[in-house]
Amino acid sequence: MLVDFELIKRAQGGDNAAFNEVVLAYRKRILGTITRVIARPEDVEDVAQEVFLRLYFSLDQLRTPEVFEPWLYRLTVNAAYDYLRKQRRRPEFRMSDLSEQQVLMADAVAGGKVEHEEQYQKKIRESVDALLGAVSEADRILLMLKEVEGLSLKELEKIYQVNENALKVRLFRARQRVLKAFGASPKGKEPATAG
Amino acid sequence: MNLRGSQDDQLNALFQAYRDACPAPEPDVNFMPHLWRRIEARQNSAFSFRRMANALVTAALAATMLLGVYTAVPHNKAADYSMTYVEALADANSIDTPDIVAPVRLDLSEASR
Repeated sequence: MLVDFELIKRAQGGDNAAFNEVVLAYRKRILGTITRVIARPEDVEDVAQEVFLRLYFSLDQLRTPEVFEPWLYRLTVNAAYDYLRKQRRRPEFRMSDLSEQQVLMADAVAGGKVEHEEQYQKKIRESVDALLGAVSEADRILLMLKEVEGLSLKELEKIYQVNENALKVRLFRARQRVLKAFGASPKGKEPATAG
Repeated sequence: MNLRGSQDDQLNALFQAYRDACPAPEPDVNFMPHLWRRIEARQNSAFSFRRMANALVTAALAATMLLGVYTAVPHNKAADYSMTYVEALADANSIDTPDIVAPVRLDLSEASR
C-alpha cells in the first residue's frame, strides 16, 4: 500500500485534502499502467483522470480500506476498457498500419532521423500493440496486467472477482491467440527481440 | 527447445521489452487542477440533475394528490348513475302521469248479474 488506511478513511469521509494525497501517491503507478494498456501516450492523462474521477465519486462504496488497491486497479481496468472500446468504434490512422518504408518516410518528413534507441522502443510498442490486436479489449487488458505489469493470479482474482481457474483459462486462450499472431509475424520468425 | 517453447520465450522477452519501452510518464503540472475541475463539473451536473429529478417528483406527487381529491369528492352526476333503472324510470314518470296509468277494465257482464 502506498498510503495508510487512515488516509483512505479520511478521503472516504469527504476530506478533499486526503483524497488529494491519495491521488498524488497513486497517479504515477496508474499513469504507467494506462500507458502500457492503451498504448496511446496522448490520451494517458485523460484516462488516468477518468480513473480518479470515478474513484472520487465511488469511494463511499469501498467497504474496507484493505481492498483499496485491487479496487483502484478495477477502476483503472474499467476506464481503460471503455477507452479501448471507444477507440475501436472510432478507427484512426496509426503508424503501425504503415509499411516500414512509409514509417521511415514519415519520420523523415516529421523532422529527420530519430535516435536508435527511441526507434527501437517505438518498434517494440508497435509490435506489441499489433500483436494484441489479435485479442479482445478485455483480454488485452488482462494479458497486460499479467505479462507486462507482472500481477499475480491472486491479485488478478481480487481485481476481477472471478476464481483463479477461470482466469487461468482465459489467460491461456488469450496468450495462445497472441502466440499464433506472433508466429505469423516477421518478428516471431526472427531469432530474438533484443535491441 | 521446440519452436513453440522458443516462441513463448520470445514473447515473454517482447513483453518485458514493452514494459521497458513504456515507462510511466511524468504527470503534467496541471494534472491535479484539471482533475478538480472535472470533479466540480461532474458535481454541478449531478446537482442540477438531482434538482430536476426532485422537481419532477414533487410535480408528480402534487398531480397524484389533486387526482385523489378530485376522485374522492362526490359529484351530482355520480349520484344519478347510482340509481337503478326502475328508480330512474319512476323518477321520470311520476304516478300521476296519465300515460302510464293502465286503462280501467269494466266487466259489464258481472255488473248485470
